[in-house]
Amino acid sequence: MQKTPVVSVSGLHKTYGRKNEQQYEALKGINFTIDEGEFVGIMGASGSGKTTLLNLLSTLDTPTSGSVEVNGQDITGFKGKALSDFRSEEIGFIFQDFNLLESLTAKENIALPLSLQGVKKVEISKAVKEVATTLSIENLLSKYPTELSGGQKQRVAAARAIVHRPAIIMGDEPTGALDSKSARDLLDLMTDINKNQHVSVLLVTHDPFSASFCDRILFIQDGQIGQELKKADNNRQTFYQEILNQLGTFEQ
Amino acid sequence: MLTKLSLAGIKNRFKDYLVLLTGLIISAAVFYMFANLATNREFVKSNTQISMASQVFIFGMILLILITIVYIAYANSFLLSMRQHDYGLFMMLGAKKNRIGELVFIETLLIGVISTIVGIVLGIGMSMGLSQILFNQLGLTVHHFNALYWPAIVTTICLYVGLFLVSGLFNLAKLVRTPVLKLLHIDDEVSLPKRRPLVQLTEIVAGLLLLAIGYIAMAKIMTLQLLAVPLALVTITLGSYLLFSAVIVGAVELLKQTNFANKKLHNFTLAQIMFRVRSYTRILTIVSLLFALALGAISVGAGFQRQAPQMARSTSAYTMAINDMDKKERNLVTQLNDTHTLTYSQKIVGNTVYYNEQEFIDHPLPMLKSRQALNNGSLKTLSIAQFKKVALDDMDFTGLVPKIGQQKSEFATQRDFANLNTATTHTVTIIRLNNVLAQRKILDRLEKMQQQRFPAPAMATVGGFQTYKMFNALFSGLQFMGFFLGFAFLAMLASCLMFKILSGANKDVVRYNMLNRIGTRRALMKQAVRGEILTLFALPGVLGIVDVLFGLQMFKPLMYHPYEMTGWSILIFCILYGVYYGITTLIYERLVIPKEQMNG
Repeated sequence: MQKTPVVSVSGLHKTYGRKNEQQYEALKGINFTIDEGEFVGIMGASGSGKTTLLNLLSTLDTPTSGSVEVNGQDITGFKGKALSDFRSEEIGFIFQDFNLLESLTAKENIALPLSLQGVKKVEISKAVKEVATTLSIENLLSKYPTELSGGQKQRVAAARAIVHRPAIIMGDEPTGALDSKSARDLLDLMTDINKNQHVSVLLVTHDPFSASFCDRILFIQDGQIGQELKKADNNRQTFYQEILNQLGTFEQ
Repeated sequence: MLTKLSLAGIKNRFKDYLVLLTGLIISAAVFYMFANLATNREFVKSNTQISMASQVFIFGMILLILITIVYIAYANSFLLSMRQHDYGLFMMLGAKKNRIGELVFIETLLIGVISTIVGIVLGIGMSMGLSQILFNQLGLTVHHFNALYWPAIVTTICLYVGLFLVSGLFNLAKLVRTPVLKLLHIDDEVSLPKRRPLVQLTEIVAGLLLLAIGYIAMAKIMTLQLLAVPLALVTITLGSYLLFSAVIVGAVELLKQTNFANKKLHNFTLAQIMFRVRSYTRILTIVSLLFALALGAISVGAGFQRQAPQMARSTSAYTMAINDMDKKERNLVTQLNDTHTLTYSQKIVGNTVYYNEQEFIDHPLPMLKSRQALNNGSLKTLSIAQFKKVALDDMDFTGLVPKIGQQKSEFATQRDFANLNTATTHTVTIIRLNNVLAQRKILDRLEKMQQQRFPAPAMATVGGFQTYKMFNALFSGLQFMGFFLGFAFLAMLASCLMFKILSGANKDVVRYNMLNRIGTRRALMKQAVRGEILTLFALPGVLGIVDVLFGLQMFKPLMYHPYEMTGWSILIFCILYGVYYGITTLIYERLVIPKEQMNG
């Protein structure tokens, strides 16, 4: 059965710097698709263009040329309200630095995307409770971010990312600031969300362990996609080895 | 090397330093302007008929010094927050604590000295400009006022440099004592106000009680005498602080429970206010005081300005009497707006001036209903019989004679008047107009012409204009002080609010950036900014107006209608305040709201 792609990227270029200044080409023609319900990882060393790619996919930045389609809409031409509405409705973000507002409680942070969409109070409460139960953070809801540990913060951030049922969750090194146990919990959680709630996930990382949770990994190097690895029927440990091997070949 | 590094740090945050310096400069300028009046004993003595005036100025000075101390403490904490990360980094890299302390001290003092000097220069300029405008626009005559006044300069320098010395020492001590790691992460710390309903309730009750005491003290100024001023100052300041602290927390808590909070960014705005409530409370108290002082001073100035024409209207039924009006004078009179004129013929025989009775029957000379000041110029007309009974000795009538020294005035019937055998028939024209103030320049010229033609030694002309000029001279000093201080406080208020608001921008940049990333419309973010700043503007504004309404009680012994002009001055003040709110939000939106896309 042919699945409809959630994200489809074609011929994506990004050049920094003005025309008559020194230019730097961060992305040199990227093509790939992410199917509905897929868990895709993007790996690459620092400076390979990972973050640029993520910024383009999430409309935080505009491409020099090429197109990005999310849920069948070309998002590269979005402006103003359409742009923010797209971000708040279709995308759930999980950032390395959590990006929680420290002046709001966990509950209020999670509710924010729904408040922005004008959802009623009763429904917001219900949705927040539901997502909190799924992520087992019910007892943290009334706390402020400063009262939470890194792992707890990232769970709250994950809850905020999925509470409005976005088309895709984008994670930018979400385990970057976590200890290994919290990192593993978060990745399990993301897998769980992916499998049970059928939300597509795009994970940008340079950490092979995080990457081993993905179904498919795109390796990005010097602004181009170099290699693609699929987990297929391998278990996670085998896949992890494969990733390490792949990274090893890059370094030689 | 370290000095170079720290200079580079300043360069990187030049915008923030500009905010800091501008704020301090305006504060110093305003202080100078106030000190210029307050320390000038000659000025205060010669321009107020009130013995208390110079003491009132001393209390005003104390209040302004208190405000300045809080203001500089603010500025200093802003400076410290800008610098501690840098200095922490230097220490981590191995710079000696003492050396860092020295640098901090010098930097603080330098900023203080620069802003004080520039502020004084600005203050002199503003005093000059403002006094010129006031003298020209209001026709004030003020003695002993100098824009450049040395004692005021010395006072300002002493206070500011002294305060900055203290701040510098404080910074030095703080940096040397705080552990390096804490310096590096000090920005990450947040404090949350605790919810204690009982304390809040006590605060509200105590706050209201203190405000009430202050208001009563001002109303009872006649019994309390000079004690009223310091009593009101202390109680109102404390009361405002307690009230703001309790009301803001309470209101935000209440709003958070409602549906309102869950819509749009409301929750975020409420949280912003809640997080800043402690520092907000202090600034709101100061702003409400400044608001009240500025509005109060302007109201009092306007009140005194109204008082002179009012007194003028109450002392005579007409504004001016012109004898034997000639062509030039007639020209000037036709230039006057909104006037009533009446002309009567006069014939002089010996010591007696005769009037044609018929003219007074056809066009009776109006008389004041009563001579009380509060009568405010209501008039009555009398029948000729009554007029002869009661008005013959009235100043308004006796003053009509040509100024040659006639002593008696008599009425003659039309026929008798025609038969009086005199060479010339004189005329007297009375003009009555409503707005003396606006047309005082023409009236002045008319009066000069009359004086030249009829050089009488005593009173040159009769009528309300004469009285107006007398009282205007008397009240000029008070009017001038009112307007001058009003504008000075307004400038201080503006700089205080602007400073508080801009100093929070750094943290808000991060917050709004987050909101942008999760897809908040720009319109919503703008709403959030406007909402938050509106709270900062509206709360002290409301309390400030209440303060003024009660505070004007103090002027009841001095003025007939202290409240007459309040409505107008509040309106004008609110418009200015509103414009200022608009500018502040625009600047803030530009500072903190990110573009939707990095290069879009």
